Amino acid sequence: MLLSIILVFCILGAVVFSVARKISLEMSASAIQNLSESLDLIECTIEAILNKEAEFQKLMAQKAAVADNPKEYIASYSKNQTMVKISLIRAGETEGISNTGETFSEEGLDFSAGGAIDGLLVSRSYMNYMGTWAYTMKCPVEKDGQEIGALYVEYVYDSLDKSLPNGFYDEKAMLYIMDAESQRMVLKPKGMGERSAGHLNLEDFFRANDILENDLQAEVSDCVKNGKNMMFYHDIRGKSSLIYMWSVNNGTIYLIGYVPIEAIQQEGRTVNHNIFVVVVVMLISFFLCCLLYYLNHRQHNRLRKEREAEREIHNRQLAEALQTAQAASNSKTMFLSNMSHDIRTPMNAVLGFATLLEKDAENPEKVREYTKKIMASGQHLLGLINDILDVSKIESGKVVLAIEEFTLNDLVSSVDAIIRPMANAKEQTFEIEVTNIAHEYLQGDETRINQILLNLLSNAVKYTPQGGNIWFRIIGLKQRSSQYEHIRIEVEDNGYGMTKEYLATIFDAFTRAENSTTNKVQGTGLGMAITKNIVELMGGTIDVSSEVNQGSLFRVDLELRIPQEQKYKRFWEESGIARVLAVSGNAESGKNIQMLMKDVGITVHTAFDREEAMCLVADCGRGKEGYDAVLLDWDTPECNAVWIAEEIRKTLPDTVPILFLTARGFEGMEDALCIKNTGALSKPFFVSAFEEKISQMQAKKDGAVPQEPVEHENLEGMRFLAAEDNEINAEILREILSIEGADCEIVENGKLAVECFEAAAQGTFDAILMDVQMPVMNGYDATRAIRALKREDAKEIPIIAMTANAFAEDEKEALAAGMNIHLAKPIDITLLRKVIKQCVHRKE
Amino acid sequence: MKKSSIRPFAAVCLAGAVVVLMTACTGAPKLGNNLVSSDEDSKSTVRMFSPMEKTQPDVDNVARSASDKTVVMAEEALGVSVDYITYTAENYQDKTYDEVALDRARNDMDDLYLLNPDVIQILGEEGKLMDLSGLESAKNLRDVVKTANVVNGKLVAIPQEVVAYGLFINKDMFDQYNLELPETPEDFLECCRVFQENGIETPVGANRWWLETFVLAQAYADLYNGGNTEAEIAALNSGERKYSDYMRPGFEFLQELIDCGYIDAKKAYVSEAIDGEGPDFLAQKTPIVMAYWGAANTETAYGNPDFNMLVIGFPSSRGQMPVMPMTGFAVGANAEHAEDAMRTLDVMVSDEALQVYSETNKVISPSKNVEVECIPALKPLNDRINENVYVLGANANMKLEQWGNTCLIVRELLNGATVDECMAEFDRLQEETLEH
Repeated sequence: MLLSIILVFCILGAVVFSVARKISLEMSASAIQNLSESLDLIECTIEAILNKEAEFQKLMAQKAAVADNPKEYIASYSKNQTMVKISLIRAGETEGISNTGETFSEEGLDFSAGGAIDGLLVSRSYMNYMGTWAYTMKCPVEKDGQEIGALYVEYVYDSLDKSLPNGFYDEKAMLYIMDAESQRMVLKPKGMGERSAGHLNLEDFFRANDILENDLQAEVSDCVKNGKNMMFYHDIRGKSSLIYMWSVNNGTIYLIGYVPIEAIQQEGRTVNHNIFVVVVVMLISFFLCCLLYYLNHRQHNRLRKEREAEREIHNRQLAEALQTAQAASNSKTMFLSNMSHDIRTPMNAVLGFATLLEKDAENPEKVREYTKKIMASGQHLLGLINDILDVSKIESGKVVLAIEEFTLNDLVSSVDAIIRPMANAKEQTFEIEVTNIAHEYLQGDETRINQILLNLLSNAVKYTPQGGNIWFRIIGLKQRSSQYEHIRIEVEDNGYGMTKEYLATIFDAFTRAENSTTNKVQGTGLGMAITKNIVELMGGTIDVSSEVNQGSLFRVDLELRIPQEQKYKRFWEESGIARVLAVSGNAESGKNIQMLMKDVGITVHTAFDREEAMCLVADCGRGKEGYDAVLLDWDTPECNAVWIAEEIRKTLPDTVPILFLTARGFEGMEDALCIKNTGALSKPFFVSAFEEKISQMQAKKDGAVPQEPVEHENLEGMRFLAAEDNEINAEILREILSIEGADCEIVENGKLAVECFEAAAQGTFDAILMDVQMPVMNGYDATRAIRALKREDAKEIPIIAMTANAFAEDEKEALAAGMNIHLAKPIDITLLRKVIKQCVHRKE
Repeated sequence: MKKSSIRPFAAVCLAGAVVVLMTACTGAPKLGNNLVSSDEDSKSTVRMFSPMEKTQPDVDNVARSASDKTVVMAEEALGVSVDYITYTAENYQDKTYDEVALDRARNDMDDLYLLNPDVIQILGEEGKLMDLSGLESAKNLRDVVKTANVVNGKLVAIPQEVVAYGLFINKDMFDQYNLELPETPEDFLECCRVFQENGIETPVGANRWWLETFVLAQAYADLYNGGNTEAEIAALNSGERKYSDYMRPGFEFLQELIDCGYIDAKKAYVSEAIDGEGPDFLAQKTPIVMAYWGAANTETAYGNPDFNMLVIGFPSSRGQMPVMPMTGFAVGANAEHAEDAMRTLDVMVSDEALQVYSETNKVISPSKNVEVECIPALKPLNDRINENVYVLGANANMKLEQWGNTCLIVRELLNGATVDECMAEFDRLQEETLEH
């Protein structure tokens, strides 16, 4: 490309150069021609003048010859601008007379050069009596063929000046007349071109104009000697000029001078200027075109590269998608394979034990053993199905979070209640830590958070060997917004850990750690995928770090909204507790209590040990505001909580409750609890637990004993209307209820249920058990129809959804349709019994 | 440059190129039937006769440039055109400039002439020059200038500079031989002796024009500086005293210089001013030459020497003595364009023009209103002039013209005449003046 451009430029330059050169040469030739013609014209003019002078002089000579008195004849002429002196010398005499009256002789006149005009001898040029350059022509005066004298007429060169062009080449040309013999300048330009000095002679002309080349000077001399014309180029005062030596009258005088080339070639300069402008414009246009081409090319390149990059990204994404799809397909294949195995295993147990049950039906012990195992396998199968459905639901985006107010206390308690037994079973230590939490009452989907925690913790228990450690921490992080509590949940264990490869896919669905150790553990492999999806659904993040045989650490960061309505503050206002003393050897623990209590508007003073605690208590006695409750850390070995409690009790009145905080159960606290108005609280400390405990203690103090709900043994004597289209399920339901001693009327669809209820007398049924998916009329419609009936009990009769639609949305829809409670199939008789009892009790 | 700005830029460039080309291709003049443009020259012309020097390429003549500037001022102010007519003798055999000037003035060839003092006096006596006393600029002239240029009661010439002649000294060479600058003729001869003894065969460079300055300095040092000038001139004009008495010491001094070989008389006799002696002086072969004030400022003369040059007065009984002849511009009495020439001259010698002239040429101005600082080399000479110590090279009050005649008689001395013969010539000339 570059070579092409250079080549184009070279060709263009060569063309322009050759054109310019051709024009220049032609114009140069034209200039020489032009100047030559001008000089020819001047030469002819001067020669004509000289010839006319000679002719006139001849006429004068003829007149003088015939004049009676030639001297008088001569004297009769007065000088004029051309002829300034007329003289006559008779033949044979050396002196004559001039028209000026002076004696005249040839002395001072030099005719030796041999110059002649029209046959008359011409003298060498000289400075005459007028102080100007002149020449004299000598004309013989003949009478009757004999020469009787000579007529001398002196002419001044100034007279020629009037015949020369005025302003030769716009007054830029210099024109001298030189006498060839003496090489003197006999006529010079008036008003020098540049107001510099004129020139004396040819030598001075050369010197002044820096024409110093010897060969050139010799050539000029040769031309002048031979009467030839000459013209040559030379710089005159820095301007290229054409210098001329133009012979006049056969070389007796010369026209000498110079013309700047620019004066002759004015149009040439314009032409060259225009060529230059055109070339410049062409070059600019060319460069602009190149620039535009370059920019266009660059833009195209950029777009092409962008497209290529985009395509590459697409290809990569496609490849990744393909890989992912293949991986997903592989995973699902693997999952199906696993599921096939995992489902077949308990199914095999169910069917196997069912076969054995049939065989050993007469042996009650074996029947109980088999049914227990069938139940366990069934439960496992149910867990598998629930997980699969959960993943499917989450992935299809159908999960909706149920945001409600909850307390961290409830959350931790429920998790502790489930996990601690599991950990204990494996002889693992399970430690719960809550730090830096400012708000205990929060809003969120407690069930799903619970699900997250149970997934993480149950995994920790699963994948931690016997005797391992599990830590469950809830840490308050710096709030990003005053309306949200930023919490971090950490689940750490020192169990088997995971490989880096597995960590990369841990949150993908349908994957499960494959190794000899974990294969012993059964699971769907969906737990972590579900967990991650739920966390992200809540706007949180989850990450994991793990090392094989070192353990794992899961971190979940969540932001949970802080409820605006601080209704829980009312309890403390009503209970009159505004100042609490917390005594703990662990500063962190004291600080946590302070933070949590600050949220409900209670001032907490912390004491590190007994002395400090007693000082604070003593301060109360000295008139300062007293404490309304005391919290004592039971687990701090440096503090003897009982002793401190006794000391405090001596100062503080019995009405001030003293609560012992422990993480090790309430065993061994009996002595302490004997102290009046004391109680025990499990760690970690939560305000809600504290509130509940205070509430219990106050109630106890007031003599009100909370009544435990009376658990009925069974459902004996009750009568239910059940809508169930599946015969087996209907059969099972009937059998279960009959075992419980209850009567049940089963209809096949919702419509029949409505009709049956409508037809039955008021009080016939204690409750209605309603399947949801049924032909003719589903459970929701049937419920709405029943509730719409104009019967007194239509609005009140408990309707319990019993359905395989086990999701929260299903429960929501059921409740919206007017059902009282939602139970997922398969039927858990214990749960069913509890629920029915609750509904009927409520009714009662 | 952003892509977005390239396109407008390119568009503007192209539009500009189109405009340039369109403009370049337009401009055809409106033509009538007659294609000849009338350029009648309505300017008045003034012919000015002045000398010229042999030219050198690429060297400016400061004096001419200065004079040209005043001419241009006149042309612009009056709308006249000044034609230069020039002459310079090619060699000693040619007519001198003064001779040609006389011829031309006598034949009314030109309007304005730059004349030497002797020619001014001759032409003034002949009545060939216009009285310039009526010019406005004449009122500004210094008295000494007026005195020197008044002939028969007419102010016949006005100079553009007060020409002062002095000795141009190569101070470096004087220092080399521990020589003091000469005050008296005796000092001068001693200096020449020392130079000659040190191998400088001809210590004084001379030409056929300016040796008279030695004579005039010695002749009239007392006359002009003795306090009795008018009486002494009157005595000379009446014939009571002889010019030859004044001139003799100077001629004898010159004779001694020639006899001792301090001056090459033969060479001087045929040498033009500066042409003959200048190259040797600039080449530091000759330590002493004589020249006019302006030569110290002129590149064509001694304006740019490679040595420390000083200009001092000529040796005399009263110490270093400047000699001041007055060249000047004169207008021909019968000039074809006399009135224009008078107006032109009035502008050329006005205070404004003389200020320009003096600043360009660094010379003493004839106007009492114009002061210009001189170059350091000229300081010794300038100091003497400021002290009013000088000799006039020409004085129109003396009936015997001094500048031209003395020059010619010195030339005779160079040509071999004795001092007595030269004095006889003065006596003869004085007698001629008495007869007239």
